[in-house]
Amino acid sequence: MSAITYRDVRFGYPDGPDALRGVDLTVPTGDVVLVVGPSGSGKSTLLRAANGLVPHASGGRFAGSVVTFGRDTRTHAPRALADVIGFVAQDPEAQFVVDRVEHDVAFVLENLGQSDVTMRRRVEEALDALGIAHLRGRSPSSLSGGERQRAAIAGVLAAAPAAIVCDEPTSQLDPQGADDVLAALVRLNADLGTTVLLAEHRLERAAAIAHHAVRVDDGRVVGTGRPGPLLADYPGAPSVTRLGRLLGWDPPPLTVREARARAADPAGLPVPALADDRAHGDGHGDAPVPGPSLVRAEGLRVERGGRPVLHGVDLDVRAGEVVALFGRNGAGKTTLLRALAGLDPPARGSVTTSAAVGCVPQDPNALLFAPTVRREVAETLRLLRRPDPAAVDRWLDALGLTALADRHPRSLSGGERQRVAIAAVAVGGAPVLLLDEPTRGMDAASREALHDAVVTHARAGGAVVLATHDIELAARCATSVVVLGDGDVVASGPARTVLAGSLFAPQVLRVLPPFCTVDEVATALATGGAR
Amino acid sequence: MGVAQGPGYGGSERLTDVHGDAARPWHAAAWLAWAVAATAALQLAPSPLYVALVIALATLMVAVFGGDSPYARAYPVLVGLALVFAVLRVALTALTTHGGPDVLVTLPGATLPDWLGGFTVGSTIEAPVVAQAAYEAFVIVGIVAVFAAANAVIAHHELVQGLPRAFHELGLVVAVGVAFVPTTIRAIHDVREADRLRTGGRPVRRGRLVRQIVPVLERGLEHAITLGESMDSRGFARGGSTPGERAAAWCGAAGLAALGGAFVALVAGESTPALVCIGVGTGAVVGAIALASRGSRRARYRPRRLTRADGGLIAVVALAPVALAGLALAGDDRLAWAASPLRWPALSLPAVLALALLAAPLVRRPAPAPTHDPAAAVRPAAGPVVPA
Amino acid sequence: MTRARPALVYVLVAVVGVAAFLYPFWIPAEALPARAHAADAPLWAALVGGLVVAAITLEVRRGTMNGATVAVLGVLSAASGLLRLVDLPGNNAGIFFLVVLAGAAFGARFGLLLGVSAMAVSAVVTGGIGPWLPFQMLALGAMGAGAGAFDPVARRLGRRGEVVALAAYGWVWGFAYGAVMNLWSWPFLPGDGPTQWRPGLGLTRTLEHYWAYYVATSFAWDAAGALGNAVLILVTGGALLPTLRRVAHRLEPVVELAPPAPVA
Repeated sequence: MSAITYRDVRFGYPDGPDALRGVDLTVPTGDVVLVVGPSGSGKSTLLRAANGLVPHASGGRFAGSVVTFGRDTRTHAPRALADVIGFVAQDPEAQFVVDRVEHDVAFVLENLGQSDVTMRRRVEEALDALGIAHLRGRSPSSLSGGERQRAAIAGVLAAAPAAIVCDEPTSQLDPQGADDVLAALVRLNADLGTTVLLAEHRLERAAAIAHHAVRVDDGRVVGTGRPGPLLADYPGAPSVTRLGRLLGWDPPPLTVREARARAADPAGLPVPALADDRAHGDGHGDAPVPGPSLVRAEGLRVERGGRPVLHGVDLDVRAGEVVALFGRNGAGKTTLLRALAGLDPPARGSVTTSAAVGCVPQDPNALLFAPTVRREVAETLRLLRRPDPAAVDRWLDALGLTALADRHPRSLSGGERQRVAIAAVAVGGAPVLLLDEPTRGMDAASREALHDAVVTHARAGGAVVLATHDIELAARCATSVVVLGDGDVVASGPARTVLAGSLFAPQVLRVLPPFCTVDEVATALATGGAR
Repeated sequence: MGVAQGPGYGGSERLTDVHGDAARPWHAAAWLAWAVAATAALQLAPSPLYVALVIALATLMVAVFGGDSPYARAYPVLVGLALVFAVLRVALTALTTHGGPDVLVTLPGATLPDWLGGFTVGSTIEAPVVAQAAYEAFVIVGIVAVFAAANAVIAHHELVQGLPRAFHELGLVVAVGVAFVPTTIRAIHDVREADRLRTGGRPVRRGRLVRQIVPVLERGLEHAITLGESMDSRGFARGGSTPGERAAAWCGAAGLAALGGAFVALVAGESTPALVCIGVGTGAVVGAIALASRGSRRARYRPRRLTRADGGLIAVVALAPVALAGLALAGDDRLAWAASPLRWPALSLPAVLALALLAAPLVRRPAPAPTHDPAAAVRPAAGPVVPA
Repeated sequence: MTRARPALVYVLVAVVGVAAFLYPFWIPAEALPARAHAADAPLWAALVGGLVVAAITLEVRRGTMNGATVAVLGVLSAASGLLRLVDLPGNNAGIFFLVVLAGAAFGARFGLLLGVSAMAVSAVVTGGIGPWLPFQMLALGAMGAGAGAFDPVARRLGRRGEVVALAAYGWVWGFAYGAVMNLWSWPFLPGDGPTQWRPGLGLTRTLEHYWAYYVATSFAWDAAGALGNAVLILVTGGALLPTLRRVAHRLEPVVELAPPAPVA
């Protein structure tokens, strides 16, 4: 029996164009099904239709039918499906009704009118299944992102649903939190047989846990099948998958382990030149010579609440550089950016700036208020009293926002909003740009646009500092890497050197050293073929 | 479903929430009863000495049960505000009310025009007027102190959870709102900082309010939409219109009509029928709440129930106003005080004993706040970030 | 008959609520047995106010309250309860202007609920639970409901005109709220002075006394608050009204279902 069956589903939001244009899809019981597609493709709508949020909570025009475990969503509102299907949204902060984990987990049981004994048992089971029993008495606001998201999953699991729908559950999380959440989903699927319908942008982890994948574009399902073959030509596919496709590995690998097995086999490298390059290649020979120093931190110590967050950090950002800051959450990345931007005064040491510094906050929503993207970007120059429509157009174009210029910023996806926020700060003309987690929630197209903008800005004599967990992006654009650990610089130097010797290495570097990115391999193949 | 690896959970364990019991030995409802009893006692025995006694008791409750919660820290502020208000009222009364003996001081006076009341401001200040006004204002300070103390010692989530089921939605709104307060404070901070970053750290005042309020509100509303979806997905929504609901609605309307009747009776100067009407109206509205609550299918997870000790406390503190009312009926003229002729207020031992009943919560002391198990609170140190 | 009941309840709430607020003006001396007990009257009024709040909550929640309604109410209550603490021009204006704008954007029923719940959240956050709370809830609820009822008229004036009209509404309410809330504490100190309440004074004399009291104690304060209301609504209304209206459809979602496709 299939868990969820979509039959010719068409749907449009109130006063909006159609978001789904004839979707036919069957989700098999007991599988993990991964839905991929660019922002605005209708992924979220498709997921929300599974438990009737679309159309009952959103309003709008709905045709066709969705049948979830034998119940038609046309006649069953989400509340009438709560006992068979749960829904978890992207934002881990916004899903808590009650200010205490345990009581929030019980919310669904209260609504279903369960007996005291049942509620007590189900809450304990749900807390155990997600491994958060020790957090039961905490307030959700005091938890880390990964813990919050697992608590949110426990909140739907308590009703013992046969299926769970997760709309980008890890896109707002750091890698550790994302791992925890995906591991929990795998465990639910394996141990309890819960069907999982999952949408994601970042596929390095998610693709490996899925049994099936579904590609969505422009409100339609454009492909279904095993994740490997289906994702081979998908722009947001993991680097190893794209590498496998480039090298003609079939089926394309989804994990580093699979890819290394293929690379270890000499027959897996079709071009001999590639093996040559591997022997004595050093990749980038064309690294640009850095210009003058723009921002310099010396012996920087920053304290918060009397406790040191950074102790004695040295950093020199020069014109033409893209510096990637790595480190786990709480290692001091954001504090370092804030100190460079002059927000946190140094307790000791100094920050010397010889050029203006623009800093984009982690959450773009803190900035956006104007009714259109263009006015949002223009507002900065208006505040600085030097309106310059040409600069506005230049930055809209640089970040791939021209087509969105007249949209309301709040109607955009998370990645698009992030780009609007970057444009709104960058348009001020600061040569140094500090970006905090810029790729959070970004789809492949947004990351590509961001990458291009960062490289262009640095080539034009500016400098960019990225605090990020996104190693793949950093491998493609960073010229130097700084790794922070517990407030100290634990490694720094040219990107390739630092990445090569560390566990931070990008996927391609771990499969085919010394290559860092798929593009490098492609270039080597092309030149090698010519040789 | 059945979680295979989960331990077995029998039916014998406690189904009520015991987390707060040690730190907060009394139920929120018991504290509310305490506050109401103390207010009634203040009204029955308004002599300044008794008021001072009640304020002292309230302060003691905050010291013993309030811990270091922000509400406990707000207690002196609220009482201070009430004192300021009282002093203003006394000054206003002294400056505008004239006549009588014992003139303290004579100030220059002015008579206001008719459209402002046509009375004299300033001129003579008489001691009995000042004393009487101070005496009455002191009672208000007492009432504020009592409720400020109750706010300081009550667990507000218990209060929200303890609402009748008919008010479940309103209680949920308050719970969501209170839970959202820290998020909003952080949002305000983030937005202010983002606004400064936009111009490279230079604050621009013009239009700043809109630039800051709109993102805070937009974020809040987006949060609300997500939360609403989460609630709907988790089975939240009101049931349809059941017969019980309809009966409750009519019952509520009848209660309102009876209250209206009470006012009509009062205008006619008939206080007995008015009291009857107020009684009937109260009964009808309470009945409506009970009917609507019974119609709800919702369950409640680990509610803190009133224990026998809570019931005992409610009974004991309720005795205080009852005893004072008895004393008043028996003709004890030392409960109240009159400023004219001016004399020192007298104490009566029975009244002091009755008020001492309000100290009953002290029979149980809060346990020291449990410290978080550091091993459980701190996440295991996250390893280096390794992509899959 | 069942249709008529909500209307009946709202009329009764209005009559009883207003009567409970305004009792100092009409209550005859003989209704209050002894002068010493005249000071109990505010507590009786608080009881009646609480009952009115209860009855109206029972009636209002009877439509469908979906998750979005509860969440939006909660979030706006938190925002307005907090704005009450933030230093904005004018006193307490923060809690008012959002209630007025949300009432205008979402309608009278929502405005009423928001007024009641915003005051409740604010009371819980600031530790302000007491016998004065029912009056604050009723007054703020009336302000929100009034804004919802007034907005269709204001909207005929165009976008800018609507904001100006709502600002004027907020300005008037700045005084009305202060005057109404004074009425809760004023009768606590009955006496013979020219600014004091005394049962049985008669409507005209009571009004004179109250006016004198109001001018002496509250007028300047309320004038600042009312100005703050008006300025805040003028400055932010143009941006906030569209923001609020964009989520209005979530509160009462309209679903158009096309007939299901024939099974292939």
